[in-house]
Amino acid sequence: MFANTYELIVFILNFIGIYNPINDFFKMLGIEYVLRIIIVLVEIAVLFVFILLTVMFLTWMERKVVAMVQARYGPMVTGPRGLLQPVMDGVKLIGKEDIIPAKADRWIFTLAPFLIFIPALLVFIPLPFGESLIISDLNVGLLYIIAISAISPIAILMAGWASNNKYSLMGAVRAVAQDISYTIPLALSAIAVVLYTGSLSTVDIVTAQSGTWFGFIPKWFIFLQPLGFILFLIASIAEMGRIPFDFQESESELVAGFFTEYSGMKFAMFFLAEYAHLFSVSAIVVTLFLGGWSVPFLSFIPAALVPLVSLGVFLVKTYAIIFFAMWLRDTVPRMRIDQLLKIGWKIMIPLALINLLVTAFILTAGRF
Amino acid sequence: MDIVFIVISILTILSSIMVIRSSKLVHSALYLAGTLIGTAGLFLLLQAEFLAWVQVLVYVGAVVTLILFTIMLTRKGEEE
Repeated sequence: MFANTYELIVFILNFIGIYNPINDFFKMLGIEYVLRIIIVLVEIAVLFVFILLTVMFLTWMERKVVAMVQARYGPMVTGPRGLLQPVMDGVKLIGKEDIIPAKADRWIFTLAPFLIFIPALLVFIPLPFGESLIISDLNVGLLYIIAISAISPIAILMAGWASNNKYSLMGAVRAVAQDISYTIPLALSAIAVVLYTGSLSTVDIVTAQSGTWFGFIPKWFIFLQPLGFILFLIASIAEMGRIPFDFQESESELVAGFFTEYSGMKFAMFFLAEYAHLFSVSAIVVTLFLGGWSVPFLSFIPAALVPLVSLGVFLVKTYAIIFFAMWLRDTVPRMRIDQLLKIGWKIMIPLALINLLVTAFILTAGRF
Repeated sequence: MDIVFIVISILTILSSIMVIRSSKLVHSALYLAGTLIGTAGLFLLLQAEFLAWVQVLVYVGAVVTLILFTIMLTRKGEEE
């Protein structure tokens, strides 16, 4: 059990027996911090490649799930069962002309796609992918996640405003209105979980969910917080802006919402950010309510295999949530914007507050 | 540590000057976001993680977003 991947890498290097020679070499040159930087850069590179591959897989998976629901095949031509289709899409998008509208605000227009990608990547830092597979176990992990996701509305507003297009602006304004109203129940239902664990660290939250009741029910917070789980799931699907809550890009009304004017690689950045967001939000749902990487049988597995097995468990759970989101997208029609805001402010926030109150009451009463 | 502090300070000060220098309201609001993120960075350097992320959440996530939102809803007529 290591605190983060850095220590895991150091342990593996030590195990192979090359850590000390390299360290001595850099120490001889008087720059021992170089090794630290190299290891951190390797971590970042692995995470980045993982996210890109995940996003590519998710675009393929989305099409396949839509196709399954609509009794079609989906992409079948490129690669085995169409698995290479995302590569073709990427090549096509790189080859497209990069258009900036004449009346657009050039700087903000160019900056927005990159700014929207940054929070989508930064959220991955305190996510526990498995035992000792976490980039950095921040002791304010959950607060960090909520704070970082609060930056993305600014990038959306930048994109919508800089395009100088009424559909873009409408899309951005809707997206932000939705984001603001659904972050509140999201945070409130996450706080109820924090009340149980007494810690904002994601690793502590996962460890608090290991073990079982009566030997067979896993101690996941979904059983303690069923209402909180439902609220968090709905709020996070709304925050992602997916059907039935996809007002930021509702095609029939707003062309494509805040990225109407974008093309080529900049459009691809929005696409990447959207799917990276889908993965990270599902991972957060799993971490908070479905026990993260912990499963009851994990204690029977030899210690050396635990990181790998827990990574597998985590991915299975995350993809289950992602599949649920895609399934929902294919079966439910889009709501109206006033219905969305009404549900957000008049139903979800009061329910989240009641949930928080009841949780706090039970926990305080249990203490006496 | 000193270099990081100097870089963050310069960026923060520059963007706070740009808040009052830029002619478009939206640009001012975005520079304000930059200033506040820089301040959060300074808090991080002081090992005050909680304060830094609360700064990002409350000021960048809520205050600047609401300022931008308001500017966009009221900007008709004033543009160009």
